[in-house]
Amino acid sequence: MKKLVILYFVLISLFLIYLYSAYSRGATDPMDSAVGLRGESDEKYVMVNYLTGNEYWKNCLKGFEDAAEALGVSVEYRGATQYDEHEEVTVLEQVIAKKPAGIVLSAINSEALINVIDKAVSSGIPVVLYDSNVPNSKAYSFLGTNNFEAGVAAAHKMGELVGQRGTVVILTQKNQLNQQQRVNGFIETLEEQYPQLKVIEVVEDKGDQVVSESKTGALLLKYPDLQGIFVTEAVGGMGVGNALINNNRTDIEVISFDTNKGTLDMVKDGVISATMAQGTWNMGYWSLMQLFHLKNALVEPVADWQQAQVPPLPTYIDTGISVVTKSNVEHFYAK
Amino acid sequence: MRTKWLQFDNWSIRDKLILHILLISIFPALCLGLLISWVTSSTIEEQVNGQTSQLIGNVNKSLDYHASNMQNVSYLISFNPEIGKFFANGAGAFSGEQERYNTLKFLQGFTTLHSEIAGIMIVNNNGEYMSNEMYARSSRNLTSENWYQEAVTAKGIFKLIGHPVKRNVTSHANYKDEEVVSFVRAVLDPETQAVQGVVLIDFKSRLIAEMVRDVRLGKSGYLMVIDDKGDMLYAPKNSIADQLDRTRILADTVGDFTEKIDDKPFQYIFQKSSFTGWTTVGVFPMQETVQGVHEINLYIVSFVFLVSMLGIAASYYLSYSISRPISQLSSFMHKVESGNMSIRYNGKRRDEVGMLGHSFNQMLAQIKRLLRQVSEEQRLKREAELRSLQAHIQPHFLYNTLDTIQWLARKDGAYEATEVVESLSRLFRIGLSRGKEMIPLSDEFEHIRSYLMIQKTRYKDKLNYEIDIEPSLMNLFVLKLILQPVVENAIYHGIKERRGPGLISIRAVADQDMVVITIEDTGKGMDEDKLNSLRMQLEQVGHLDYTQPIPQEKAEEDNGGSNSYGLRNVQERIHLSYGAPYGITIESVIKVGTTVTIRHPIMHREE
Repeated sequence: MKKLVILYFVLISLFLIYLYSAYSRGATDPMDSAVGLRGESDEKYVMVNYLTGNEYWKNCLKGFEDAAEALGVSVEYRGATQYDEHEEVTVLEQVIAKKPAGIVLSAINSEALINVIDKAVSSGIPVVLYDSNVPNSKAYSFLGTNNFEAGVAAAHKMGELVGQRGTVVILTQKNQLNQQQRVNGFIETLEEQYPQLKVIEVVEDKGDQVVSESKTGALLLKYPDLQGIFVTEAVGGMGVGNALINNNRTDIEVISFDTNKGTLDMVKDGVISATMAQGTWNMGYWSLMQLFHLKNALVEPVADWQQAQVPPLPTYIDTGISVVTKSNVEHFYAK
Repeated sequence: MRTKWLQFDNWSIRDKLILHILLISIFPALCLGLLISWVTSSTIEEQVNGQTSQLIGNVNKSLDYHASNMQNVSYLISFNPEIGKFFANGAGAFSGEQERYNTLKFLQGFTTLHSEIAGIMIVNNNGEYMSNEMYARSSRNLTSENWYQEAVTAKGIFKLIGHPVKRNVTSHANYKDEEVVSFVRAVLDPETQAVQGVVLIDFKSRLIAEMVRDVRLGKSGYLMVIDDKGDMLYAPKNSIADQLDRTRILADTVGDFTEKIDDKPFQYIFQKSSFTGWTTVGVFPMQETVQGVHEINLYIVSFVFLVSMLGIAASYYLSYSISRPISQLSSFMHKVESGNMSIRYNGKRRDEVGMLGHSFNQMLAQIKRLLRQVSEEQRLKREAELRSLQAHIQPHFLYNTLDTIQWLARKDGAYEATEVVESLSRLFRIGLSRGKEMIPLSDEFEHIRSYLMIQKTRYKDKLNYEIDIEPSLMNLFVLKLILQPVVENAIYHGIKERRGPGLISIRAVADQDMVVITIEDTGKGMDEDKLNSLRMQLEQVGHLDYTQPIPQEKAEEDNGGSNSYGLRNVQERIHLSYGAPYGITIESVIKVGTTVTIRHPIMHREE
């Protein structure tokens, strides 16, 4: 009997040793030691905008992609290929149907997309806006340039370049809120602080280089003593630049917007005196961060946070504006 | 010792049973466990490898798909007539700004549709370029760049060149070298086969990463993509990519192997796409394949453990329950062997062992009955012999004849003869005593006195005797004729053999619960050897085995001759009647004499 007890003791202890070794081996997992914010690769976030081929978006997308890389999630880039609000609505509807983890949207105008945005948020897809806002939607946040302030900064720069007195024209897209805000900031600042500096005409250029080039040519003929031109967007700015080069007018101060290669080159060559650089990379990067926090419940998403008055995120992030001139243009080229 | 242990026959039944049950319970469980563990481990490994190859194949297919898409883009670009003009004659070929703008718009269309394209650049053979997204860092001619030369060497074949290295091209959106993968294709003049220019497409490697990152091999396995030069196109963070021996992967198009990194074995499975020339490598720690096996093994070990526990307990219990009653029975047998016939097996079980015990009891009872029967038969036989003897002798006729001889002798004045005849007559009467086994001690002494009287007549003064008996003993009963053989011995082997007159003294005294009769003679005596041999013979009578035939008359052959037969007869009769403590003992010293002591129980009446 004693022998039996010893045998049992030996067997049980062997078995326990085996169990211990089996469990301690299972506990070590060499690879899965991710720390910090880390998402799943099947979490897909979509960036939706309009004129998707536009160079301006490339830096936003880059920021968006960099954030995705940092978080280990997937991203997709969609949008209206043309300047067409119906197309953007359609694309957004398609994206919502695929139930993505989140949507970052730049709205073509402040009206057309409200319903679709609200529908997405109500169905649990977090939406944040970047670059151009839709103020009355349920989107959680807006990241973008304070366009009014950008217009103010441009006005100050114009005052500095032209002096207290003179005539200025503005080329812009009139139905686009962000550009209108820039125009407003510009005009108000001039009226208040530079009363002798007059805005004599605001011209529609459709955001198209060729259109703006021809319109500028016409303006030069119309106002021979024109001293300054403010263009609220880059493609138009390049059209203006080309028109000035073609007409050999180096005396006119041009303030453009954004920092695409053509604009930077023109700044470098002195054709454009200054351009307003937006934090486009920041828009893409931080919008994805916000979506990630919403999606992974790191903040508490409330679908009708406006009514409840509990914004889960900073509702507005100013991504900043900086003035690019010949002296600092080198920093804005790609590295 | 070892050979003894090895001999299976020598094992106890208990050990045999334990071994047997352990063999049929634990051994098959153990074998089964080993077999299952072996089969599952090989099956799991096969499955894992198969699945991984399949996943790798799928990844390669999608990589091929994307690469062929890019190839199509490069063709579509070269089909455009404006771009054809640019290739042939440079920027000057455009009729105006509008045409150049439209061409750039055309190029922009591709990045609009394919967000995975980081940038497209077309370069003609003078180093002039057009692009929406990319531009040269410096004025250095782009045609001297590596990627351009590679495209030229490939002669119009779509070429993948992996991550760009130190090229004089940058993208406006700041895509770094490791964030893109370059594809190039030279556009050839269909007639002269001269290189007109090169289409460069930068593909975002994020897409490859997304495609590959989704694929998880087991718990912690992952995929890597290596281009045909061995450069890493994609590897997850904190992977073992840097330590990977790439020559082994580049040497073959498909295969698998195991390699140790940081002392941990990793399994590699790789497959090369013939279109892209890229190799997708699946890496997972060996430990993980065996994880599943470990789990199964855990169950198996637990199972075997349980079976062993139960098996051992069962084998001990079963073997004990079988072997214990058997050893109990065998210890009973030992007791019976040493003479204890009254023991009984009293187990209540009804199995074979119980039956064996029951038979054992019956056997013992039977033996007892047989013993009784044998002793009874012996007694009856002896009585019958005696009766037949009496029938032959016809005692009345003998007595009457002896009386007639007495009267005749007296008439003739032969008084001595008268006395002898009278003694002989008394001797017979008491000796026969109507067939009784027991007679009063007085009769026994009367009988011996008559006998001595007759012998005295013969030996005259050579034989003297004295008889001394306590009067209180006179009425006790003894077995008849126990003195005469002893006295006869004393006369023939003692007195007769000595020189000069001898004395025989017969005394009877009571000692506790027995009558002690001593017959002492002053005869020749015996030496040690003879005495010991005589004592031994008497001893054997005491331990007569009932089951063996009595060694009759054997003693007559040895030295003692008839001298021992009478003594043995007396000893036997006393033992048969009363058992071991009673009987004859002999003391003797050579040339001094012999003393024989008879111990007989005190009997107040005939039994």
